[in-house]
Amino acid sequence: MEKINIICVDDEREVLESVCRDLDYFSDMFNIEECESAFECLALLEEFDEQQEYVALIISDHIMPEKSGVELLTEVAMDHRFAGTKKLLLTGLATQADTIQAINNAKLDNFLAKVWDPKELLQMVKELITEYIIEKGIDYEEYIEKLDAPTLYRLLKS
Amino acid sequence: MSMFSQYLKYLLPVIIPFIILLLPSDSFGIVGLTLIEQRVIAIFALAALCWVLEPIPIFATSVVIIVSELLLISDKGLWFFKTPSPDLGHLIDYQTIMATFASPIIMLFLGGFFLAMAATKYRLDVNLARVLLKPFGNKPKYVMLGLMMITAVFSMFMSNTATTVMMLSILSPVIALLATKDLGKVAFSLSVPVAANIGGIGTPIGTPPNAIALKYLVNENSISFGEWMVFGVPFVVVMLFIAWLLLIKLFPTSTEQIDLNIKGKFLKTPKAITVYITFIGTILLWLMGDIHGMNAYVVALIPVAVFVTFKIINKEDLKRISWDVLWLVSGGIALGVALDKSGLAEHAVDAIPFGGLHPLLLILGASILCLVMANFISHTAAANLLLPLIAALATTMQSLLPYGGEVVLILAVTFAASLGMSLPISTPPNALAYASGNIETRQMAKIGMIIGVVGVLVAFAMLFIMNKTNFIG
Repeated sequence: MEKINIICVDDEREVLESVCRDLDYFSDMFNIEECESAFECLALLEEFDEQQEYVALIISDHIMPEKSGVELLTEVAMDHRFAGTKKLLLTGLATQADTIQAINNAKLDNFLAKVWDPKELLQMVKELITEYIIEKGIDYEEYIEKLDAPTLYRLLKS
Repeated sequence: MSMFSQYLKYLLPVIIPFIILLLPSDSFGIVGLTLIEQRVIAIFALAALCWVLEPIPIFATSVVIIVSELLLISDKGLWFFKTPSPDLGHLIDYQTIMATFASPIIMLFLGGFFLAMAATKYRLDVNLARVLLKPFGNKPKYVMLGLMMITAVFSMFMSNTATTVMMLSILSPVIALLATKDLGKVAFSLSVPVAANIGGIGTPIGTPPNAIALKYLVNENSISFGEWMVFGVPFVVVMLFIAWLLLIKLFPTSTEQIDLNIKGKFLKTPKAITVYITFIGTILLWLMGDIHGMNAYVVALIPVAVFVTFKIINKEDLKRISWDVLWLVSGGIALGVALDKSGLAEHAVDAIPFGGLHPLLLILGASILCLVMANFISHTAAANLLLPLIAALATTMQSLLPYGGEVVLILAVTFAASLGMSLPISTPPNALAYASGNIETRQMAKIGMIIGVVGVLVAFAMLFIMNKTNFIG
């Protein structure tokens, strides 16, 4: 089985832990990483790239000291090594300018407002991971129990 | 699971073939076993272990088989495997082994893949489904019957997996609307993979085991595309009806009405029309037999030429052909070639006293074995392993002749290979339907086991009638 990572980024410890708790459903098949800053996330990405591991999804907070979530995700979007990595912005405080930037530059795949509904987050992540696995040509059968069936049917059909 | 048993699936496929290679040649109970034949036994053991335990992807096993054959038993293999010795045996021409990648059976499938891909790309499949489903109205049980019939017809020409994906994507929004406790969810979710698995039996290109069977049905036993359909389609119809009755009885829905909403219109662009004409034309040519001089394999390449010429299938589409399925079949053919050309098949059958076995017992035993295997491993892998053995056995058994001979035995086993569908891991269609979360394993097992056993019995009855009417044998 390929090693597939999900990275969560938030400068607030409690929020980070709560996101990861909500994603516990995926933890037996995917590796869930916690980062407390954008820099930590970028360093981790380098590490994963060296090991040729898949990064399926980055879930990031926006307002963080030094480097914002949108800046982080823009950097990832521009990096060909992580082409295809899904990006989810999780924020309560984004201005219209931030939002515009997030969509145009960071090429967000999904936007979720704080405080989120754990079920909604779970469903969103399911769909994004399904998309990633099919787009990357990874053998989906091994992960099938964690994937979103309607998304799977739709993507396999085309 | 202990660490040891976790590693066992990697260790056994390496150790056992190696031991077989090292054993003295008289330890197999076959008098005059040559070195080459012994190596074929080792390669066969490797194939069986890899396909059952799946330490590597099943198509990779096929490639390993072909490369092992080239290294160990071909006339251009490693030097120390060719050292002349009185008990070396016949080295096999390397070209024959490599040619399994492009065997006519593979070309037949390639043609089928092109037809299916073009049909999907130009939405012929979805549009046909929309039109064909209309007459079935909106009563749940008739909608289900319609769905199953259309799924079965499509899976005769498309892969069972592709058909399942298409039908489930149409169906899943509708199932989502049913009440949580409604058993109809189970029935509808199961109807698609069951119909796709059954439908594959209908034509030689419906599913890989059928094509592998054709490889062993040669000379006076050969069956044309049309002849296959003459018995394949009625079998599908009967089994589909049984499956439908089972589903509506075991999992009745409480819903009064089901509305499938399929969007779209038939495309009318020149390319789309080329696809329609080529699709119909190819099928007609297949059904005509050989009155035009072409066999099914040659006909299969016509759509390939047409679609690439008119850019209906482009470079990018070409990359998405299921090469893994083609290679999986190639490995099976290579295994058969090795058994046959090395002389092992003939040798082993002579050595083992099958003569005393009642032919009906053999047909029953082989079919049940294949059915059980196909529930746990890939249908194609099961056919790859069993059919060469069965074919070798059948050619020498005179007592089979009154029951229809080789053809009956091969067809019974081939049908059994497609009827293994009682677990989510049995077939990709099952896995996809199970992923919907609407079905429990025991519900799938119940339907799957009944259909498996009833299917084998219906196949026996049909083969009996075919033999009595001199259609085969």
